[in-house]
Amino acid sequence: MIGVVPRACARAMLVLFAVAVGVFLVTDVLPGDAALARTRGGAGAAELARLRAESGMDGPVWERFARWGWALLRGDAGTSLLNDRPVSTLIGERLPATLTLAACALVVAVPLLLALSWWAGGRAARSYGGGALAAVAAIPQVVVAAGAVAVFSGLLGWLPRVSLLPIGAPPWHDPALLVLPALSLALPAAAYGAGLLSGAVADVRALPHVDDAVLRGIPRWRIATRHALPLLWAPAIRVVAVIAGGLIAATTVVETVFGYTGLGELLVSSVASRDVPVVQAVALLGAVVVVTGGAVADLARGIRA
Amino acid sequence: MHRRQFILGTAALAAALVAAGCSAPSAENTGKAGTLRYAAVGSPATASHDPHGGLGNESDAMRFALLYDVLTVPGEQGTEPRLATSWTPDESLTNWRIELRDDATFTDGEPVTAADVLFSLRRMHEKAAENYGRMGMFDLAASEAKGEHTLRLITRTPFAEVGQALESATFIVPEGSEDFSEPVTGSGPFRMDSGDAEAAVLARNDDWWGPRPPLERIEIRAIADPQARADAVASGQADVAGSVNPAAARTAEQEGLRVVHRQGVTVYPLVMRLDSEPFDDERVREAVKLAVDREQLLDTVFLGQGTLAGDLLTPADPTAPEPPERTRDLDRARELLTEAGYGDGLDLTLKTTTAYPGMDDAATLIAGQLEPAGVNITVDVVPQDTYWTEVYAQEAFYVSYLGGISFLDVARVALLPDSPTNETAWGGGGWAERFDEAMAEKDEPKRAELLGALQRELAEDGGYVVWAAGDGLDLARPGVSGLPTGPGFQRLFIDQVRVDSR
Repeated sequence: MIGVVPRACARAMLVLFAVAVGVFLVTDVLPGDAALARTRGGAGAAELARLRAESGMDGPVWERFARWGWALLRGDAGTSLLNDRPVSTLIGERLPATLTLAACALVVAVPLLLALSWWAGGRAARSYGGGALAAVAAIPQVVVAAGAVAVFSGLLGWLPRVSLLPIGAPPWHDPALLVLPALSLALPAAAYGAGLLSGAVADVRALPHVDDAVLRGIPRWRIATRHALPLLWAPAIRVVAVIAGGLIAATTVVETVFGYTGLGELLVSSVASRDVPVVQAVALLGAVVVVTGGAVADLARGIRA
Repeated sequence: MHRRQFILGTAALAAALVAAGCSAPSAENTGKAGTLRYAAVGSPATASHDPHGGLGNESDAMRFALLYDVLTVPGEQGTEPRLATSWTPDESLTNWRIELRDDATFTDGEPVTAADVLFSLRRMHEKAAENYGRMGMFDLAASEAKGEHTLRLITRTPFAEVGQALESATFIVPEGSEDFSEPVTGSGPFRMDSGDAEAAVLARNDDWWGPRPPLERIEIRAIADPQARADAVASGQADVAGSVNPAAARTAEQEGLRVVHRQGVTVYPLVMRLDSEPFDDERVREAVKLAVDREQLLDTVFLGQGTLAGDLLTPADPTAPEPPERTRDLDRARELLTEAGYGDGLDLTLKTTTAYPGMDDAATLIAGQLEPAGVNITVDVVPQDTYWTEVYAQEAFYVSYLGGISFLDVARVALLPDSPTNETAWGGGGWAERFDEAMAEKDEPKRAELLGALQRELAEDGGYVVWAAGDGLDLARPGVSGLPTGPGFQRLFIDQVRVDSR
């Protein structure tokens, strides 16, 4: 029991550091840089060198990483290399929109995920459940989004085809705008998460005392909540954290389809323009969600043990 | 049993969600008289508050055109005054006297002076790397303010088109402005009300010197996806969508929306670099120009919404000549290739990208069209992230893009020996010298004639295959009137647009 918390925290810190280094390096090895993106092929070597020096894009990669990391530790996420705006502003503008959308998607995805994994982890579906989930999870978001738009806006005319956020009002100002983007995110995410969790569910359902409960004719929901769930907390939290992290950073496709400006669009555009400080900030945000969930799962398991 | 429960549960959940979303449409979804909601081309992540940079986002440029005064604007009959009331050269055409209006004020009450103008032009010049050297024709160090509202501008060479060079993008900010991470004070027809660079609400500036805008508010949003822009208008969340795809425009027209055509502004020229094999041989260039099927390209890529361009790079420019007649002639093309030594075939790789709709289709079509002439083309689709830095103005054979800028701008950016992106290695053979001569010609009709001849020469001998010019297609809800229809930057000036109450 003692030592669980520091250990979980240390592990989380290590993972975040690894993510920061990894993302920095990957962005660095991509061809081109922000100076080229900013001048769109219209600048000579001297001008490019000046631009790089001005915005701290020169010097070896470890030095740039150290500069960025040191500034971040002092609470300064830097400025965009593309439009000179503070990264904190860029993130802050989009965070409410993304959090709102992610929350709506989770409200749908989490119960669905648990139900699906219970079904797929059962005896009846053992043979084909995993395959079915994998098939659903493999449907690209863009297809889900297009299908949802076709049904709810095209055929039924219930919901708007795009979701332009109101300017100067909170994102939940108009709930109708959130339904289709949230559904498009939630369905594949739930299938993916259920695929991750169904193995653990199957193991738990095969345990003697659970089996025994089934044989004694205890209602299914009681078995699920009483006997199985306590053993599933840790993996469930971990899976939900992974999905939530994905919803923070990887919602680009849905955002593009619906014209919804969130962090996903910011991440992809920033990768495209090699805007390292912005890429780092968004990637770390997603990683913080995943890692926090992992740490909570560790604690849940550790405390139970 | 439990499977059925699960399906029912899911259905109930979806129904609950839909019910939540079925509440009455909010005020955002119904337009208001006095407000225009414009869905403009732009990537929200790169939206900027700096009016002197690259203006890569149309949404930004459009906002700046409302927030800031510009010196001159393009009009039907050439350059028209805005903040600058007159521009008068000396005998040598290198020393220009610019007179400014004396009744323009910034929204903080300070008058707009020659010092502000000079500061803004110099700042544009400092950012030459980002804006393709937009102020390159001026010697701004030698230029000076000659009083409160008079400016002396020095050009590096005799340059008769100073009025045009000061058009549209000369956004004037207060002298000494330094922090452009937030909007800087302006003196234009509108001022910043709320929102930010990617989605801004502008309110009418009642103290503006010009004609009172009919609209009280203009909302401008950056939306990168053309389909999402069109959908925004179709679903009533925007009044105007800038630059939609031909297919989306056609669908929207059937649904009762209005399509505004800006004639012949989009070209996807095929670039052949004159300083690399095999395009250094003019017979090969001629053969390619004869082998492409221009009508098929126009019909497929632009769905017929455009005009054949006869290889004129800027067919919408006022000085553009009649386009040369170009009829497809595969026999002659094969003959020319044989003469050039490629009788048994020519293998090429054509690079393209998906940055603008149809660029990839154009390359695929061209590959098919050149095959019967004995040219075997492999199409290579390069991601748009790196296209403008790795392919544009670097490779010898690719599909390029131009969005309706004037001939002078194209010449400055891409046709002269010192141009930052001379993508076809053009300008030799005396063309650059003749361009300078034209710019030193005082007589306007004569100058237009010279410029026309230069464009014709480029069309006939140059490395550009300009098969057609597609119309710019903007989508508008009924009731929106006064949207700009002209070429180039004219589309940015929407201060006189009106929206009738619906």
